[in-house]
Amino acid sequence: MEPRRMLLQRIKQYDFSLKELNLYLDTHPNCRRALAMFAKYKKLRENAIAEYNEKFGPLTPEQNNDLEHWDWVDDPWPWERS
Amino acid sequence: MNLDMFSNIDGLVLRDSSAPFADRAETMETGTMGAMPANPSLAMAYVPYQQWGDTMEPEKALSCGTLFSDLAFPFEKGGSR
Repeated sequence: MEPRRMLLQRIKQYDFSLKELNLYLDTHPNCRRALAMFAKYKKLRENAIAEYNEKFGPLTPEQNNDLEHWDWVDDPWPWERS
Repeated sequence: MNLDMFSNIDGLVLRDSSAPFADRAETMETGTMGAMPANPSLAMAYVPYQQWGDTMEPEKALSCGTLFSDLAFPFEKGGSR
């Protein structure tokens, strides 16, 4: 799998873990372990997204950080993808 | 979880404690509160609260569909249990 897809896969995995912890924390708001794990994966996810932005561009429009060019439109559009 | 939304349903017997966790807000390591709510009503069915168990790595969690090994019930031919 090419690096871009592997990175995307990692981001999905973190998203999923965070969603699971979110559901658990809804009913266990004081569980320290869940809160610690949530913080851990949140950080990992932020790093992975930052890496993705740097290498492959924004995942979502607001991740555009180029003041001279709106690079959101540079990505291959879904129908243009190989 | 406030229960006000149930306040206008007559005949529904409500426990007085505002939130099931409030009175047992143990901030212990696992925040465990046992499988049953604080003061369960009679003649009502309860699903046991999940306790903090071991968790899978994100990669495995995504394919298993859950982060918690306790909740992983793979559908196996002939049944796993």
